[in-house]
Amino acid sequence: MGEDLQRKLQAELDNLKSAQKELQKAISTRQQLDGQLNENEIVKKELDLLPADNKVYKSVGPVLIKTELVEAKQNVSKRIDYITKELKRVDDLIVSLEKKQDTHREACQKFQHQYQQAQVKAALHA
Amino acid sequence: MAQISATEQPHMKQIDLTTLNIPQLSTLKQQLDQELNLFQESLASLKIAQSKFQTSNETLQNFDSNCEGKDILVPLTDSMYVPGKLIDTKDVIIDIGTRYYVEKDIPAAKDYFQRKTKFVTEQMEKIQILGLERSKIRDAIVEIVEMKLQQQQS
Repeated sequence: MGEDLQRKLQAELDNLKSAQKELQKAISTRQQLDGQLNENEIVKKELDLLPADNKVYKSVGPVLIKTELVEAKQNVSKRIDYITKELKRVDDLIVSLEKKQDTHREACQKFQHQYQQAQVKAALHA
Repeated sequence: MAQISATEQPHMKQIDLTTLNIPQLSTLKQQLDQELNLFQESLASLKIAQSKFQTSNETLQNFDSNCEGKDILVPLTDSMYVPGKLIDTKDVIIDIGTRYYVEKDIPAAKDYFQRKTKFVTEQMEKIQILGLERSKIRDAIVEIVEMKLQQQQS
């Protein structure tokens, strides 16, 4: 009985740990996307302030390439759309991972409790 | 360059801290500690950004049409330079992020850096307020945990 319970508890603990790891990964992806979104939005705001004939360059490796302002704006908007979609996806993922983590944590606590009770019982019988 | 929103998340609700048990409180404290750490890091990087914008702005103060035609040394690598002459001192090219660069005249460039410095400073103030709030909650949690521990002992 005791050994069986201990094995279950160990398995649940492992599950909990891997769930936590996955969640951590998702959270750091989210933070990265959030940063990218902010940077793009700041750039968009800055581009919106410019007069239509302002010179704009895009850096590609070590050179600056001249671009049209309209094109730059479109590019940034497209990127913002994409990042927003990605953010939504990661947000959903985080919610589901959090739920998973909670289920595993509850199961862990339950087994731990049972295990302690079993030990107390064993100590009484001894 | 993260923008900090001062608005609370919609799913946040008020919880009476005294109704939580000790493991819950310690998880909460851990979360707050992590958040506070993040705030410290953000503040540090904002500080760097702020000083970069300020330096750029100060550099522009000494940069005017008098500089036209002056000799400069252009760095080819960190330790090798070639001589050059300054032309077109009316305009500068500014990195506005995500690999985009725009050409601006000197007054517009100064305005840009001033706006950026102001923006970053505002973000720093917001984080400081948030951080203060969080550390207050954190202190409250520590106090309640101590109280609960004493209750258990007696």
